Amino acid sequence: MIPAQYYIVVSALLFTIGGVGFLFRRNVLVALMSIEIMLNAVNLALVAFNRTLQNAQTGQVFAFFLIAAEAAEVAVGLAIVLSLFRLHRTVQSDDVALLKN
Amino acid sequence: MAFAFAFLLSPLLVVAGGALLLMLAEAFTSKRGRGDHGDRASGLALGTTVVFAAGFAFSLGVWLGDIEAVAGADALAPWIVIDRFTIFFDGILCLGGAITSLIAGGYLPEHKLDRGEFYSLLLLSTVGAMMLAAAGDLLTVLLGLETMSIGAYAMTAFRHTSKRSAEGALKYFLLGSFASALLLYGFALLYGATGHTDLAGIGEVVKVGGTHSPMIVVALVLVLVGLAFKISAVPFHMWTPDAYEGAPTPATTYMASVVKAGGFAMLLRVLFTCFGDKASMSWSAGWPPMLAWIAVITMTVANLIAGQQESVKRMLAYSSIAHAGYLLIGVVGAMHSMPQASATVLFYLLTYMVSTAGAFGSLVLCGSRGMEAVSYEDLAGIGRRHPPAALAFSLFLISLAGIPPTAGFFGKWFVFRAAIDSGFYALTIIAFMNSVVAAYYYLRVLVFMYMREPAAGMTTSVPMRSGYVTAALLLSAILVLLLGIAPSQSLDMAIKAASIFGSS
Repeated sequence: MIPAQYYIVVSALLFTIGGVGFLFRRNVLVALMSIEIMLNAVNLALVAFNRTLQNAQTGQVFAFFLIAAEAAEVAVGLAIVLSLFRLHRTVQSDDVALLKN
Repeated sequence: MAFAFAFLLSPLLVVAGGALLLMLAEAFTSKRGRGDHGDRASGLALGTTVVFAAGFAFSLGVWLGDIEAVAGADALAPWIVIDRFTIFFDGILCLGGAITSLIAGGYLPEHKLDRGEFYSLLLLSTVGAMMLAAAGDLLTVLLGLETMSIGAYAMTAFRHTSKRSAEGALKYFLLGSFASALLLYGFALLYGATGHTDLAGIGEVVKVGGTHSPMIVVALVLVLVGLAFKISAVPFHMWTPDAYEGAPTPATTYMASVVKAGGFAMLLRVLFTCFGDKASMSWSAGWPPMLAWIAVITMTVANLIAGQQESVKRMLAYSSIAHAGYLLIGVVGAMHSMPQASATVLFYLLTYMVSTAGAFGSLVLCGSRGMEAVSYEDLAGIGRRHPPAALAFSLFLISLAGIPPTAGFFGKWFVFRAAIDSGFYALTIIAFMNSVVAAYYYLRVLVFMYMREPAAGMTTSVPMRSGYVTAALLLSAILVLLLGIAPSQSLDMAIKAASIFGSS
């Protein structure tokens, strides 16, 4: 059996990749996907931790709730991206800069 | 037992049930009569306000009832904790929701946005904020936070023909989800390090093993950064001005009042329950220095940038960031005098909420269709053209600046005094100097309203007429004056609410 620590390392890597992707990519859809990667890292960490703490299935249940909440969030997010694309004809966040100091 | 618990949960249940009823009412009346569209929407605004008023009344009822003695109050523990802290927040969140829905009742029809979804979003998002205040487990924190935020994203994007609205919503959504992800990774690490997801259980483990475990330290940093994003503290504030400016003004009001209060409820509960032990709250080994620095740069940066804004709406957005800084001073002050200092945070939230909601409401009242008042120039001469709106706006700005005899003065007074009592002299002096700087840009609005005339040939914004907005302003104005003249009773309530954190 693969030790749980390996999963935690993978999850930390995923989280970092997602975070870096979010901060450095200018495409809104890629940013959205980066956030998804970060949230999946959270899920992986929760489930992996659950295996080391065998007292209850809290981590697994938490991951299920998180998946549902993520889905709702992405639904709203994609709607916002769609409406942005309809109005601005672009999904590059650098091209969308009406609101400035 | 079930009945007793339903009684404790009633504020939340009333608002959630009302939201569903209004959603049905909206769905069943939408087909008939396109002509009386406006009437239907304002009926919804009235209904929403009534639901919030009922939520407020129930909170008051539960508060006056003997919460501690109700049997079975822990039926949903640790998921949902009903104590005086929760009920206090239920009350002020309903209050903020009511003011927002009144403003929306005037704003949406005027600007041809009168679609019923806004009110459902408003109610359900507030349910999320109320749940956040009641959350005693990481799972319920997550659910409350997502319910609140998703509603707020949708409300920000509500004007779907406006480029600015879409842009503001996008920035709010992306940075909001990013912050949620950071917060959640922190939660996952906390779960891994302690084996608990209930806040009290985490607190127990942190107390014993504490800040020596690297995993808990990383989790604490991630949670703090996530929380700072949510309450829009510098340097995690980038989304705030854009989202506030792009959103329709009622949605801005909602973000500045209810979402901010919900964020602080979460911050207080998570920090004080999970990291409320002596070591975590000490200056050498805990979170207070980090929060103190965030507070200082939040106030200073926000106030300096606010002074340079040409748009009043954007100025108010920076002002809301600055106020998060003042609030954080109260949180840091809790390091030495736990119940007193956190009580001042609750009281400050109440005063800030009515003042800022009133200020955005006045801004709504100063503009009309196609001519929204946004810049200082738009407000020139309003004092002569529309004296009541100018008077109300002045009152709220004076309160935000913290000048007596308004609510804002006592809000600041109590927070600063608590900080001095805890020995944070430098922090208090910086905060005081910041509020002097802030007075400059608040009073600048007054100068434009009363002492300038619109430039010749410039189209001036025509103030709108709306019973709803007037009612919202009256409600906030009464509260601002009431809290400014007789603050002691609500301060006592705040102290009782904060006493659940005990004295450390």
